[in-house]
Amino acid sequence: MIRFEHASVTYPGGVHALKDVSLEIPDGQMVVIVGLSGAGKSTLIRAINGLVPLTSGRVLVDDEDVTAADRKHLRRIRSRIGMIFQGFNLVNRTTVLNNVLMGRLYHTPTWRTILGRYTPEQIDLGMRSLERVEIVEKAYTRASNLSGGQQQRVGIARALAQDPRIILADEPVASLDPPTSHVVMRDLQRINRELGITVITNLHFLDLARQYGDRIIGLRAGELVFDGSGAQVDEKVFEDIYGRSLTADDVLEKRAEL
Amino acid sequence: MSAALPDARPTRPARSKLVWVAVALFLAMTAWSWDGIGFSPAELVEKADNARRIVDDMFPVAWQAWPVLVEPLLETFRMAVIGSVIGCSLALLVGFLASQVTAPNGVVYGVSKTLMSVVRSIPDVLYALLFVAAVSIGPLAGVLALVFFNVGVVAKLLSETVDAVPLGPLEAADAAGATFVQRVRAAVFPQVLPNYLAYALYTFELNLRASVVLGLVGAGGIGQVLRIAQTRYRYDVIALIIFVTFVIVFLVEALSISLRRRLS
Ligand SMILES: Nc1ncnc2c1ncn2[C@@H]1O[C@H](COP(=O)(O)OP(=O)(O)OP(=O)(O)O)[C@@H](O)[C@H]1O
Ligand SMILES: [Mg+2]
Repeated sequence: MIRFEHASVTYPGGVHALKDVSLEIPDGQMVVIVGLSGAGKSTLIRAINGLVPLTSGRVLVDDEDVTAADRKHLRRIRSRIGMIFQGFNLVNRTTVLNNVLMGRLYHTPTWRTILGRYTPEQIDLGMRSLERVEIVEKAYTRASNLSGGQQQRVGIARALAQDPRIILADEPVASLDPPTSHVVMRDLQRINRELGITVITNLHFLDLARQYGDRIIGLRAGELVFDGSGAQVDEKVFEDIYGRSLTADDVLEKRAEL
Repeated sequence: MSAALPDARPTRPARSKLVWVAVALFLAMTAWSWDGIGFSPAELVEKADNARRIVDDMFPVAWQAWPVLVEPLLETFRMAVIGSVIGCSLALLVGFLASQVTAPNGVVYGVSKTLMSVVRSIPDVLYALLFVAAVSIGPLAGVLALVFFNVGVVAKLLSETVDAVPLGPLEAADAAGATFVQRVRAAVFPQVLPNYLAYALYTFELNLRASVVLGLVGAGGIGQVLRIAQTRYRYDVIALIIFVTFVIVFLVEALSISLRRRLS
């Protein structure tokens, strides 16, 4: 379970990216966070694994205080939280499998990492992660030789290799075309349903959010302005989150309707 | 038209006066240098006879002397190999410590960066002179000189490559719970490895040429034979050394260039 207690983030420049947010995410939920650009979606997601430190308040993951954790403790918390990025964040000049095995770094002794020698068990786990996103045949291909959609699935496999309890996805489909976006979102949905992993995703498009999110959290200027199911998102709620009415730019399939 | 639209097009901004100051300084410095060393192309013509005598002395080339050169040439080659291996290994460490992306903290970064520029500011021949004085004449002095020379060059190139690496993979490593060293090894090293290998090959080429010169000041290898030939006015032997050195450097360079092309 993830719990935010009066969490606030103020960046060095003075921007209040998160303002007194309190919320709870139970295990196994598929949560989508929506909001305008700059609303604080990335900040909220990055606070969960401590990539962004809170200015005040607390974040707890499985009752462990991320805010108070020292470096070593933070690494342990992070090892149970997979992360997927808009820009994939793969090491282009190495193989897909090496990228996936980055997900095992916490459980690999440093000397082994330095030598670049993985155990057969680790390689097996890496292969199984790749099989889950149906891209295992690319295991020994250089990451740079894959398409955007394939690279994002490698990103998902890397997160799965951590054997995580939670997966955070910061705009995982923002660099992809619509059909590929659905493939990636369905992968995340399957991971949530079949493995029971909590999945928290930032999305720009409201139709994708409603289609894949069991629960939708709306942020506006760092404040929690909506928390409910996709079905509850109507025109009024939309205006609360976005401060204006729905346009074609807010949906992936270019039809301005909810 | 310009009367109708007086403000539409901007006028060209005046060139800074500093440009003229710089040009004047440049000209003055050239004149001062030219005058100072008494440089005169006419001298070349006056001394043409002397030059012709030396060229005459070079022929016929002392081909029969080649067996004497084999050992010193091998020594030069070995010096270049050892110098590259040790120098580039050290540079791998220093290069990572001298980039803000991979330095463990600001102090280590600053110290490595300073160390690097100090090492680089001393020319290789000066290193050779110092080490010949310190450990006496021979290949050890040459290898030490090459090591310092290589650390300076490769660490600098490597640290600049590390500076420019995309940071996304580092974030991914952090998010997976990696240690600092793991992050460097898994997220940065693969990104710079091809460049590093290319730099290492390139410095090997430089080393081969440099170790010829280093021999001249007593740091072992073919350069030492060159010096002896020079003191005995054996320009026919010098001609042979020039030829053989040219062939070897040319071959190694061709090989290295084709390998480096494959890396990129
Ligand atoms: N490292 C930082 N330093 C200073 N300000 C930042 C930093 N990161 C984000 N901000 C600011 O904090 C606010 C919230 O940023 P955040 O990235 O969380 O928004 P977002 O909802 O993810 O936006 P987007 O949809 O554009 O990704 C923005 O105003 C942003 O400019
Ligand atoms: Mg964002």
